[in-house]
Amino acid sequence: MDPHIAARLRHAELEHHTRRHFLSQCGLGLGALWFTATTGRSWGGSGTLVKDPSQPLAPAAPGFAPKAKRVIYLHMAGAPSQHELFDFKPELLKLNGKECPKEFLEGRQFAFIQGVPKMLGPQFPFKQHGQSGAWVSDRLPHFTSVVDDVCFIKSMHTDQFNHGPAQLLVHTGSQNPGAPSIGAWATYGLGSENQNLPGFIVLTSGGKNPDAGKSVWGSGYLPSVYQGVQCRSEGEPVLYLNDPEGINRPLRRRSLDALDRINRRIAEETGDLETVTRIAQYEMAFRMQTHATDAFDLKLEPEAVHKMYGTQPGRESFANNCLLARRLAERGVRYIQLFHWGWDSHGAAASEALNKGFGDRCREVDQPMTALLKDLKQRGLLEDTLVIWGGEFGRTPMLENRGGGEMAFIGRDHNPGAFTVWMAGGGVKPGTTFGESDPIGYEAMTDKVSVHDLHATILQLLGFDHEMLTYPSQGVNQRLSNITKTGTKVVKGILA
Amino acid sequence: MQGGACVIAATFMCPTLQRFLVLPWLISTVAAEEKVDFNREIRPLLTKHCTACHGGVKEAGGVSFVSRDRAIAEGESGERPVVPGDPSKSDMLRRIRSQDPDEVMPKPKHGPPLSSAEAALVERWIAQGAEWTNHWAFEKPVDAPVSAVSDESWITSPLDRHVLGRLDREKLKPSPAAPPAEWLRRASLDLTGVPPTPDELASFVGEFQADPRAAKEKAADRLLASPRFGERWAAVWLDLARYSDTYGFEKDPHRNIWPYRDWVIRAFNEDMPYDRFTIEQLAGDLLPNASADQRLATAFHRNTQCNTEGGTDDEEFRVAAVLDRVATTWTAWQATTFGCVQCHSHPYDPIRHDEFYQFAAFFNNTLDCDQDDDFPRMKVAHDAAKRDEASTLESRIRSLRNQINDAGLPVAATTKDWAPFVPDSLKPSHGKLSAYPGGVIRSEGTLPMGNSHEVSAPAAPFTALKLDILPDSEDPKKWPERGSFATRFEVRLVDAAGASSPVAMKEVFVDRLDGPHEPGPGGNVGGFPKLESPRWAVFVPAAPVTPPPGSRLVVFLKQDAQTTGNQATPVRNFSIALTSNPAWSQLITDPARAELWQKLGEARAAYQPIPGVMVPVMVERPTHSPRETRVFARGNRLSKENPVEPGIPALFQAAGAAPVRNRLDMARWLVGKDNPLAARVLVNRLWAELFGTGIVRTLEDFGTSGEPPSHPGLLDHLALRQRDHHQWSIKKMLREIVLSSTYSQSHKASPELVARDPGNRLLARGPRVRLTAEMVRDQTLAASGLLSVKMFGPPVYPPQPAGVWNSVYNGDSWKESQGEDRYRRGIYTYSKRTSGFPGFLTFDAPSRDLCSARRITSNTPLQALVTLNDPAHIEAARALARRVSDQSPDLQARIAAAVLLATQREATPAMLQELAALHQEATAEYTKSPELAAKLGADPQSAALTLVANTILNLDSALNR
Repeated sequence: MDPHIAARLRHAELEHHTRRHFLSQCGLGLGALWFTATTGRSWGGSGTLVKDPSQPLAPAAPGFAPKAKRVIYLHMAGAPSQHELFDFKPELLKLNGKECPKEFLEGRQFAFIQGVPKMLGPQFPFKQHGQSGAWVSDRLPHFTSVVDDVCFIKSMHTDQFNHGPAQLLVHTGSQNPGAPSIGAWATYGLGSENQNLPGFIVLTSGGKNPDAGKSVWGSGYLPSVYQGVQCRSEGEPVLYLNDPEGINRPLRRRSLDALDRINRRIAEETGDLETVTRIAQYEMAFRMQTHATDAFDLKLEPEAVHKMYGTQPGRESFANNCLLARRLAERGVRYIQLFHWGWDSHGAAASEALNKGFGDRCREVDQPMTALLKDLKQRGLLEDTLVIWGGEFGRTPMLENRGGGEMAFIGRDHNPGAFTVWMAGGGVKPGTTFGESDPIGYEAMTDKVSVHDLHATILQLLGFDHEMLTYPSQGVNQRLSNITKTGTKVVKGILA
Repeated sequence: MQGGACVIAATFMCPTLQRFLVLPWLISTVAAEEKVDFNREIRPLLTKHCTACHGGVKEAGGVSFVSRDRAIAEGESGERPVVPGDPSKSDMLRRIRSQDPDEVMPKPKHGPPLSSAEAALVERWIAQGAEWTNHWAFEKPVDAPVSAVSDESWITSPLDRHVLGRLDREKLKPSPAAPPAEWLRRASLDLTGVPPTPDELASFVGEFQADPRAAKEKAADRLLASPRFGERWAAVWLDLARYSDTYGFEKDPHRNIWPYRDWVIRAFNEDMPYDRFTIEQLAGDLLPNASADQRLATAFHRNTQCNTEGGTDDEEFRVAAVLDRVATTWTAWQATTFGCVQCHSHPYDPIRHDEFYQFAAFFNNTLDCDQDDDFPRMKVAHDAAKRDEASTLESRIRSLRNQINDAGLPVAATTKDWAPFVPDSLKPSHGKLSAYPGGVIRSEGTLPMGNSHEVSAPAAPFTALKLDILPDSEDPKKWPERGSFATRFEVRLVDAAGASSPVAMKEVFVDRLDGPHEPGPGGNVGGFPKLESPRWAVFVPAAPVTPPPGSRLVVFLKQDAQTTGNQATPVRNFSIALTSNPAWSQLITDPARAELWQKLGEARAAYQPIPGVMVPVMVERPTHSPRETRVFARGNRLSKENPVEPGIPALFQAAGAAPVRNRLDMARWLVGKDNPLAARVLVNRLWAELFGTGIVRTLEDFGTSGEPPSHPGLLDHLALRQRDHHQWSIKKMLREIVLSSTYSQSHKASPELVARDPGNRLLARGPRVRLTAEMVRDQTLAASGLLSVKMFGPPVYPPQPAGVWNSVYNGDSWKESQGEDRYRRGIYTYSKRTSGFPGFLTFDAPSRDLCSARRITSNTPLQALVTLNDPAHIEAARALARRVSDQSPDLQARIAAAVLLATQREATPAMLQELAALHQEATAEYTKSPELAAKLGADPQSAALTLVANTILNLDSALNR
């Protein structure tokens, strides 16, 4: 028998009996280990990452020492208004109700505003909080207690003004479907620390998937194994995770034992290395069933934790997803992506209006996201977990006048020119505010940060030069920071 | 030196990794004195180390290695990188060998230096004259003869000679022939996507024993004639066509385009030659007297995404669709990465930036414009017998309508006495209107939906009234602008006493019919959804108008049209002019014209009642008004440069060949003898489906950045065989491959062979390939006897977990199919772009957002969860258990039958023993827990057999072909 197959089967057997971590020493990771040992990192000559295709999610060393080992990205789908949360502009308050000056409208494309709209001042009172003196409106009373752990970027800007393309841009660096998401790049570059759970997990709340659909956690031109796995907080967390009705754990174990023994014979007979990998994957699936079920079981958390997050197990909510994010972070999941839907405050319907639904959205996220930061901190996880919060663009300092007329409620249109993102943990400077928008929060003005800059920074924190983490497609070495964009830079000013 | 690198790799790397890294063409060694082969030895070095900075995108220091001319030219330093014949004067070599970190190339931060052996190779190449040849894929294929092979008796198909010749050189022997069951399983799944039935297997094995070759030929013919063939191969094509039952993007609503999917299945089943298959899909609408099927075929390029999100710019997504058509055409037919030329000249291959836009011009002349209703569409009659009639009527309606309208064009061109109508009263419903000298009226302010403009002046006699709708900018590079469209257009006379009477317009003539809204004498004129250029409409009253003295003429325009999200498309700038030219009155009273109107009415009356489904297809703009295509600076559609004419890149333009000027020419050129790529790309795709890996592994990229072929001679042989000998018949080509000795080898590999060639690139054994996503489902249903063979029709909704479908602003729900529609083949499963069928995505099916030329096979625990736990797979296991229980009372026989159904292999005694033991223990467990057993079977034994069947359906031999 082929010595490689023999070695791999032996390791598979060892694993089978001990249920120990499969990858650390077994032959399957030999190639990657060889590369790491000889070159210090798993890079090919042309700067392309060399992956062992039989172990695509094996943990891999980054380009340099990372500050963050994992990411929790809280995406507020629909784009929350910076004017009502963090980016306080006294100047805008003074302009409230006045006709928008012509120069603000020339050459601008709006989704819905037409002709000459009126200016709209901040709708809620602001105060400064914490030692850092961060401005936060009264919509986020819990969050004010953690501002000293947070770094606000108030000079974010994008070039997309519709939800679908803008969400794709934020998560893949391209406004069109077909490019890999940040989480796909992260798991491609770093693998996963827990082979019993998917390395890239997506949780949604608010009753809807994001506007751009599953492409925002897709693997694009990367192998499909790096795509995000959407898990649910109701029902099976991972599709088909539960044993089917009529098959209990011992029976499943027993049937996998039989399968395993037969497949080993097939592997020996055919010499097919994929068969050896498949044997390992079935074992991993079995372990995932236990581990994922456990990871997603919020009932295992004590009452105090539920109080802290405001969670109600069994109901899909942002709070539940925040608590799940912490449980997954503890278990070494590389990239945890949350989407909370319903922030598109146009004022066309009560559910989304600034003077109605917006407040509900704030209540839904305020306590849980605050609890998440506190909880990560008290468990010592915040220092190497990068938490990112933001939408896909900002909102106009003008009152929306859809179709040129009056709206039923108060709202703002899409504004790619300026929005606020905050980050915490994982190597970012706590208690800081970086960049500024103009005096009415319309355009990023000082220390402007593009979506591509944000991506370069996230990769930097994960231990990668954004120009080096590439994958060949369409004839070029593609990258998250989008080769067609020039001038992309790491935002050094926010690094701790 | 390349052989040396390979030895290191083989020694230290695990075999699987080696498969990824060691490229088979590197295995042969290069003799030191031999002439350097530019394409094989130098070009890869340039691509790897040089062209990223010195190529088509970036010419750092004025140096580029995309062509010989550029490489031997002086750079900004005044030095020549390459001086042919003189290595010592070649700056390139000096920089490669420099020890100075500021001098050395590549720069240390860009990559590792060249090895001394590589540098020596470059030196030798320069010394030998620095010859430069075109990249292999851009040269026409040549069927070079293969010298004698070691075993003539092994040659079954001509292709075997190429494979054996290579094995001889590598000092390898082919593997023995596969046992009949192994070959039949492989060929059945490869050709039809479903495994053979036990009867088919049994009769084949019998025939094989008598005469293997005759048995295989008979089986191949049976499989190729099976209706299942088209369903299997359509799945391959639909990845390239990015076929989906939804629009994509935010709302991702339903699209009726399944008749196109059925067209593809039929085309494969009828063995439509690939040249016709190509021409009909790319330009079927332009063929003379195009049939309904030929028009339907063009839905291929209407599988582009359509954005219905509120507030989006229809032009942005119209352009995105056009560019996607360019990229898809080049990926699917040419395996050439053309997309990067959108922004700049090709980084490695000699294709210029403006050539991208010349090619885009072929596709930039259709009527579709990202409309929510997928305009324009054709009616595909439910009754197949009525399809051509409906299509012919539709074409006739379009042609009559254009004829009726275009009769006005020469009159408009010859009417010189247009008198400007200069209003002295301007009444806008919103904003402000101002009249400028010459009669141009411009608006300011907010013009919401439903706004109107009313202008008036003292009346004068006229026979026709012209409305010019003008853009804000006079610079064509800034066009198109926001739509500018008058949905209502009314003219009144108000006499001196103030009494108002309408002027009834009988007809309207417009500069071109190109939008989704039908113009009429009451309005619907201008540019919608975008104003591409100045537009005009001439309104002609039934009789010349002679206003009473002292009366005023009032013109009223209203706009109620909108693009998605209540976006108004108001008329912002316009002018009105009057003429007394009698030609207009004569034109509309011409009896021949009345006849045309009557014919149009009859055609519409005949067309309307035919029941059918509306499918988006390609429809060209009127020939007199092609859309202008301009180069986008750096790929940005908002920054346009010079206009271009349609054409193919100069690299592909054969000397003396007629220029390629429209979409139909272009389709014919693709499958013509001047194109070096299409046949190679096709046979490589067929090969990859059968062998798991293409002769060129990068199915999507035959360019410099793709991988070279493992067997260049074989690839060219197959390409010419396919195109010339088989006259593009895919069935004949596949027949030849599956009957070849190469394909018929056993897939068992000795340890030595696995170590030598883990990825089977040298083909010293038969292929062993994982089932595709669709096959995993179809085989499970087939083995269990559940599979429905119902063909065609709207997509179906087999069970999937609740809550998977929840896209925004889209009320569609997954209405689980009932009856046999639950068990249809995977190709009929509803394909939603933003929420793919989970079982398929897990097994590497693409989302179909974009053209996908290759599914990279993954091997993950999530796949195990699907086949172990998905209720559909459990249902199949239960059916399989029932099926084998009906055949025999004996447990061992039942298990053996199930193994045979799932794998076509005789269960070995060890396997039987293993599964029987599982059955015994499970029976004991189920006897203890009857409520558990009840979920899987009528009694504990049946439940245990379901568990065994589930295990069998998960065997590695069941998941591979």
